[in-house]
Amino acid sequence: MIVENDGIADTLELRRESTLARGDVMGEICHHLAPFQVGEKPISGDTVIAKDLTIDSLAIMDMVMELEDRFDVSIPMNVVAEIHTVDQLADTILKLHARR
Amino acid sequence: MKSLPTRNSQLALHRAGFISVPTMLDYAAEGETGVTFYNAKGEQLSALPWREVRERAHVVARKLIGAGFARGERILITADTWPGFFDSFFGAQYAGLLPVPVSIPVGIGGKDAYLDQLRRQFAASGAVAAVGLDDLAGYLGEAAREFPGLRLHGGMDVLHALPEKPVDLRPLGVDDLCYIQFSSGSTRHPHGVQITQRALMANLAGMTGAAGLDVVVGDRVVSWLPLYHDMGLIGFLMAPLASQLSIDYLTPRDFARRPMQWLNLMSRNRGTISYSPSFGYDLAVRRGATQMPADLDLSTWRHAGIGGDMVRADVLERFAATFEAAGFNRNAFIPSYGMAEVCLAITFSPGGAGVRTDTVDRTALGEQQRATPAADPADPQRARRFVLCGRVLPGHRLEVRDPEGKVLADREVGRIFVAGPSIMPGYFGEPEASREVLSDDGWLDTGDLGYTLAGEIVVTGRAKDLIIVNGRNVWPQDIEWAVEAKRLAKSGDAAAFSIDTGEGERVVVAVLARVSGDEAREALARDVAGAVREAIAVDCDVALVAPTVGLPTTSSGKLSRARTKANYLAGHYASAPSSKPAAA
Repeated sequence: MIVENDGIADTLELRRESTLARGDVMGEICHHLAPFQVGEKPISGDTVIAKDLTIDSLAIMDMVMELEDRFDVSIPMNVVAEIHTVDQLADTILKLHARR
Repeated sequence: MKSLPTRNSQLALHRAGFISVPTMLDYAAEGETGVTFYNAKGEQLSALPWREVRERAHVVARKLIGAGFARGERILITADTWPGFFDSFFGAQYAGLLPVPVSIPVGIGGKDAYLDQLRRQFAASGAVAAVGLDDLAGYLGEAAREFPGLRLHGGMDVLHALPEKPVDLRPLGVDDLCYIQFSSGSTRHPHGVQITQRALMANLAGMTGAAGLDVVVGDRVVSWLPLYHDMGLIGFLMAPLASQLSIDYLTPRDFARRPMQWLNLMSRNRGTISYSPSFGYDLAVRRGATQMPADLDLSTWRHAGIGGDMVRADVLERFAATFEAAGFNRNAFIPSYGMAEVCLAITFSPGGAGVRTDTVDRTALGEQQRATPAADPADPQRARRFVLCGRVLPGHRLEVRDPEGKVLADREVGRIFVAGPSIMPGYFGEPEASREVLSDDGWLDTGDLGYTLAGEIVVTGRAKDLIIVNGRNVWPQDIEWAVEAKRLAKSGDAAAFSIDTGEGERVVVAVLARVSGDEAREALARDVAGAVREAIAVDCDVALVAPTVGLPTTSSGKLSRARTKANYLAGHYASAPSSKPAAA
């Protein structure tokens, strides 16, 4: 079977962890968003992803996909549609991860 | 799981020639072919032979009839690519109900815009039922609150929970409608194209026949196109069904995430027919260049169709150059042209000919509406290249006319009109909007501009201000309203248009900036782009216009987008401090 790079090694490693630290998730999100920061204002939990940054919709989709792969979660489309801020995105990932 | 066979062992291939969707499915169900769903990793999720699609549809039909839904009533369906869509769409066909396929939400923060869209679609279609993905059941319920006429809504479980009664099926027949296609008109005032069984059968005959894709035994179809769009639903569900082919599906989301899976599926299942707007080929090149599996084999791909947006020769050439090593044949490209108002297809370029282009003089094109061959085709400043999209399907007619209605000669640019058996009877419940595009003698005003060349059509742009981004039609009003709704501009103080960057279309929003100072201007531009992205999921450049300069208006005082665009291209408006420099 032909499969693209799915970050399988990362996923396997994460599966061994029982809990996920919020700081790790925030760190990962901020790492993805850093290139789109506007001016000197740091990216925080209140940052509205689609509005406060220069990130475009395709890049947002790429980021969500990479986060899903990294933390081995799948965010349902109705949940994605209700996420606005960095905090909401991090909380969603943590909640889904705990339920695995 | 075994994949479904490409060929039927006993059943003879019939290329269209049926009278309705139910009769099409009845025939295909006698064979072993069918549809298979794959996930983003290329793993098979489920497979439904046409026989099973029909059996499940019969069960749903008896439930719908038993629940008291009347013939001709509408059922809205969130058209994701999953078995539930097949159950509800074909169930409705056998119950005499009209499906109304609609899109699913896109991107983060899109909830409110999606609920608004659902409400407008409920209103425009007068739907009495709405079913969808389980994840969207809550949204359907929320949007349904203002519509007491909606008697049933929720995930597929609400359909399955209905008792199956011993009633006779009421299949839609040759004189009936088939479904309502929302893909035309602005999202604020959606127009539902009435797809009739008769027009659909005519269009399918053209598409699968010798002047179209010339379907043969051994063809196998792969698609990631959304089923809420005419190219996905008619081109990559109805047409393969009309010729009893097997289909391999990837969802549009999974394609966007992992474009290479489209090509992997073609390779693995020996696919022969697949379509995409130009942007899909572009996405595959950008990812494929670095991720091409060594054993990728695209040599069986005999029809690589392009439709849904302006066909871009440069993108297709890059795709061919990248995937030639994997056996892709550049002559497999089939540029084609169509719209939901003719069901789907109206012209196909000849099979096996690949992409053929015509390079014309930009000045003559812009100022005299003439497609004069360019003196130096290699000079991009003076020359503009267009793709030939082939001849009109048999039994149909195509004319290019000037504003007075005179039929134009070859190389004269005008409005494209089409006539023939695939044309819609009109928009659902909108006689006035229908009259605007349909003449009494059966000609459809496509709203597109183009010219003919020895019987073939070359599409050059759109007469209306319609913007197409990544194959999606976006009305400039919708963008302006999104900006106005956030109170970033007053009504009439924002103008949206698109510019051709040579690589694709780029949306530009010109906004009156009633603020001063770099910081405030920067914030305004960012808010405008954010509002547009949130409401419409479109990325845009923002041009700030000084109130003293203002936006141009027509003689009747209406905003002139065409003149705004001309001013912008002439450099009369400053780009926002933080926005990227716009390519003209």
